[in-house]
Amino acid sequence: MTEVSAGKSISDPIISLSDVHLTLPSTAGPVHILRGIGLDVSPGKAAGLVGPSGSGKSTLLMVLAGLEKPTSGSIKVADRELTQMNEDQLALFRRDNVGIVFQSFHLVPTMTALENVAIPLEFAGRADAFDVAAEELKAVGLAHRLDHYPGQLSGGEQQRVALARAVAPNPAILLADEPTGNLDGTTGDAIIDLMFDLHSRRDTTLVLITHDMHLAELCDDVVHLRDGLVEKTAKGTRNKADLLVGAAS
Amino acid sequence: MSDIAETSPALAGTAPKRRGSNMPLPWKIAARELRGGLRGFRIFLACLTLGVAAIASVGSVSSALMRGLAEEGQTILGGDVGFEIVHRETNDAERAWLNAVVERGGALSKTADMRAMGRAVKNTERTLVELKAVDDPYPLYGEVTLASGQALDQALARGTDGAFGAVVEPALLERLQLEPGDELNVGNHTFVIRSAIDNEPDRVAGGFAIGPRVMISDEGLAETGLVTVGSLVDYEYRLRLPAGEQTNEAVAAFVEDTKEALPDSGWRIRDRSNSAPGIRRTVGQVALFLTLVGLTALIVGGVGVGNAIKSYIDKKREVIATFKCLGAPGGLIFQIYFLQVMAIALVGVAIGLAIGAMVPMLAQASLADLLPVPTEFAVHTGPLVLAAIYGIVTAVAFAVWPLARARDIPAAGLFRDIVAPASRWPRPFYIALTLGSLATLAVLAVALTEDYQRMFAIWFLVGTAAAFGVLLLTADLMMWVARKVGRPKMPSLRIALANLYRPGAPTGSVVLSLGLGLTLLVTISLIDGNITRQVSTQLPDRAPSFFFVDMQKAQLEPFNAILDETDGIQNVNRVPMIRGPIVAVNDVRAGDVDATPDTRWALRGDRGFTYSAALPAGSELLEGAWWPEDYAGPPLVSFVKDLADGWGIGVGDTLTIDVLGREITAEIASLREVTWQTGGINFILVFSPGVLDNAPQTILSTVTMEEAGELELQLRVTDAFPNVTSIRVKEAISSVSALLEDLVLAVRATSVVTIIAGILVLAGAMAAGHRHRVYDSVVLKVLGATRAKVLGAYALEYALLGFGTAVIAGSAGTLAAYLVITQVMQAEWAFLPVTMAVTVIGATVITMGFGLVGTWSALSRKAAPILRSE
Repeated sequence: MTEVSAGKSISDPIISLSDVHLTLPSTAGPVHILRGIGLDVSPGKAAGLVGPSGSGKSTLLMVLAGLEKPTSGSIKVADRELTQMNEDQLALFRRDNVGIVFQSFHLVPTMTALENVAIPLEFAGRADAFDVAAEELKAVGLAHRLDHYPGQLSGGEQQRVALARAVAPNPAILLADEPTGNLDGTTGDAIIDLMFDLHSRRDTTLVLITHDMHLAELCDDVVHLRDGLVEKTAKGTRNKADLLVGAAS
Repeated sequence: MSDIAETSPALAGTAPKRRGSNMPLPWKIAARELRGGLRGFRIFLACLTLGVAAIASVGSVSSALMRGLAEEGQTILGGDVGFEIVHRETNDAERAWLNAVVERGGALSKTADMRAMGRAVKNTERTLVELKAVDDPYPLYGEVTLASGQALDQALARGTDGAFGAVVEPALLERLQLEPGDELNVGNHTFVIRSAIDNEPDRVAGGFAIGPRVMISDEGLAETGLVTVGSLVDYEYRLRLPAGEQTNEAVAAFVEDTKEALPDSGWRIRDRSNSAPGIRRTVGQVALFLTLVGLTALIVGGVGVGNAIKSYIDKKREVIATFKCLGAPGGLIFQIYFLQVMAIALVGVAIGLAIGAMVPMLAQASLADLLPVPTEFAVHTGPLVLAAIYGIVTAVAFAVWPLARARDIPAAGLFRDIVAPASRWPRPFYIALTLGSLATLAVLAVALTEDYQRMFAIWFLVGTAAAFGVLLLTADLMMWVARKVGRPKMPSLRIALANLYRPGAPTGSVVLSLGLGLTLLVTISLIDGNITRQVSTQLPDRAPSFFFVDMQKAQLEPFNAILDETDGIQNVNRVPMIRGPIVAVNDVRAGDVDATPDTRWALRGDRGFTYSAALPAGSELLEGAWWPEDYAGPPLVSFVKDLADGWGIGVGDTLTIDVLGREITAEIASLREVTWQTGGINFILVFSPGVLDNAPQTILSTVTMEEAGELELQLRVTDAFPNVTSIRVKEAISSVSALLEDLVLAVRATSVVTIIAGILVLAGAMAAGHRHRVYDSVVLKVLGATRAKVLGAYALEYALLGFGTAVIAGSAGTLAAYLVITQVMQAEWAFLPVTMAVTVIGATVITMGFGLVGTWSALSRKAAPILRSE
């Protein structure tokens, strides 16, 4: 098992995976995607998952979010054993504990920026959903874009809306899957800056999937995956203070 | 990334004003999702609109007719209560009962209806007429309006020259080439035609008419000499109840009192609430059939509804997966999309209802010609509500399945491309909801019919469900065969076959939707074809040329003499006819006999009887034995098997008839089956010789002869015997055929609605596969296929699809028509290959046409941009 919880040793890990296997059927025979992964992440830490295509990064993220059930093993997130939960329980678990940022943003095209951010809060039955959503958009520098539809926003703006949406319910865990993959370098940097800022200000645990080693080095721990296994773990070498602080425009 | 200008043009430039309304969450999100507009739902809307409009139109028209019949009941009946007696006038007890009402302040009118020959005086034209003799109080309700503007009693009065006046339907003037002022012989009297009739208020209640109306006074009828013992006269007595007794309850109570006071009268009593039961029944039956056809169209459209939702959900996969990632449970996802689909369904239903409410008003003019019934063309809420329920329940039935699968779209789909998911059944709740909705449709369709129509409704639905099942299997079979055929050498055929079973192929939708409509059309066409063939081809071949009715015994000899002098006579039949009611069965009075509903008619009113030494032609003896030719024992009778079964009697039981007040009881010696379709003379009761020989009787004669001499013979017989009515079978058949044609036209027009629904679904299925076609054709072109080759492959695919569907639908339709003709109508079946061929070719052409129109635009797309975007 790989221990990533080096920094805050006294606290229990918020994410704890033990011997997780995932095999999917295919026409060409079963595909072993995860082959016995063990991983602990301490609360408030940032973990970067890196590895070549097909190494199992995205699948691991899905498993962490309760979007994919492992074939075997244990997945404990925020003190809940995900493998014991049904689909609807997992949906409610995500609503209350997990925010996700996707490479392709996945905003709802028929809803405005404000409505997109308000949706998880509405799912949670929050009466102040729109007020909170407006605050979150303001925090990512989009106070002037509240009533714009995704199609009327730039790529960077859309990802900022997605980020606001992910953090709006104040989740304990933020999962990000290649959040800058569809953005140019400058815009991507601004998003990363914003994401790490939100992570540190809210004490949110961050799991970041990326191809970019430079980006992964910003995390507390860097987990290297290969062929469905953790190849090695290391400490992040870059200082977050290197990053620009504040919201990009 | 979503490009709003591309996916949701309706959103561009708009921003919602309200952010957090108080609507429940699923409603709020559904409303936001619907901002994308109704694109992709055109076929969905069209299918629902069409079906709902068809059902609402039929319901509104029949409701307008029914309400017209009910509200104008007094006028149509000609009174609050009507009493019809065939063959005789009221007896003392009946007269006293009716007069008591008049004494209380009511009014009574008597009319006599019969068929007779109308003979022009100024030329040799003559025709069968529907004669109606009226008294002074007639009509008690409504007004007879005449083209001349005269009052009716003036027009019918005896003139200074001694001739009574007559008013006639315009058709008579045309047929006999006469004008008002000309003379018309009816029986022994020469009437002067004073005017054409513009409106006869109680015409509808008279039922089906073979000839045009001639109205005369009752004094005029007496002069004709047509009313003698045994002649076929319908006497109608109409009562206007006293002012205080005109409520519906009072009318019903009076009818009940009458039945109680005069239980053996044998008269047929109708009150104003049921003034034209025949028309009511016909309208009810046609409306039921057309409603069921409309429901079939709705179900065919339901396939389109399901397809539209499936492709909508496919487009929404990403959004649904996002919702799930953000914490939406599956139930919430279902609610969000169910609400959207229902909102759009309501739009379709509303459009359908609007059309349905308007159609009767637009159709008013043509209906007025077809059905002489006063109609009330207003918005009829009942049928519209029913059509709306049908529409909504159908939408639910076909929406739940694809929506339930949306509920199970995996959220993980956002992270990797999903291979088409394996066919997975929805959760049990949704399966139950789908089946429950379909069952609701069936229960509604059956429960809302009247008792006598229920079996028809059930069989129709069973047939539709069976056809549905057969077509589903056919689609699977076609795909299985296409897969098993292997790889033919001809590339076009290989592509065509592969397209039939590839994932997302429209095979299932097309076979089901087009097939169901075609099955119905073939069924109706073959039933219609068979009936038409019997009426217009077989019947004239077998039927005699003439029926001569109401001939007196004394006229038989001179009549035979005329026949002897006439060339071309092939066969003559003369049968004595006596009329009277069946009053008892095994000494149980007719009113108390335990008879099945479909055989009760024979216990009401007068029947015709005959007597014969030999078994009549067209009869087959099933039980018992025929009496010897020289039989001279106690009265025996031969009865028809169907009625005997319905009354629970058989050989050895007794029947009692009343001939002019004298009751005659006879033992049933045999049971027969009668082939009525031959057009010969046959009676339900045939007595042994000696029983009725001296009873007052008329002679009914049929004459079969060469067509060339028919008019000449009619002229001679009607000139010689003014009281004899001659019915020329060819004319009667053409009247019946004309009526049938109108009816069949209405039925066909409605069944075409199911075909249109099928075509809509077909077009929808083709459109859904358009992107796939474009890509395929581009790749094929890149690989060196010419446009003709690609087009050929697609044409072959559509031809196989259309042809396969048509063959199965044709076979299912033929089977259904065969069952209706042989089992329900008990008629002879003939397979009509032309009807089948037209259906098969038509369906193939339609499928190819719609398919190729879409494919042509796919073929003309440039390859480069498509390859780049892929």
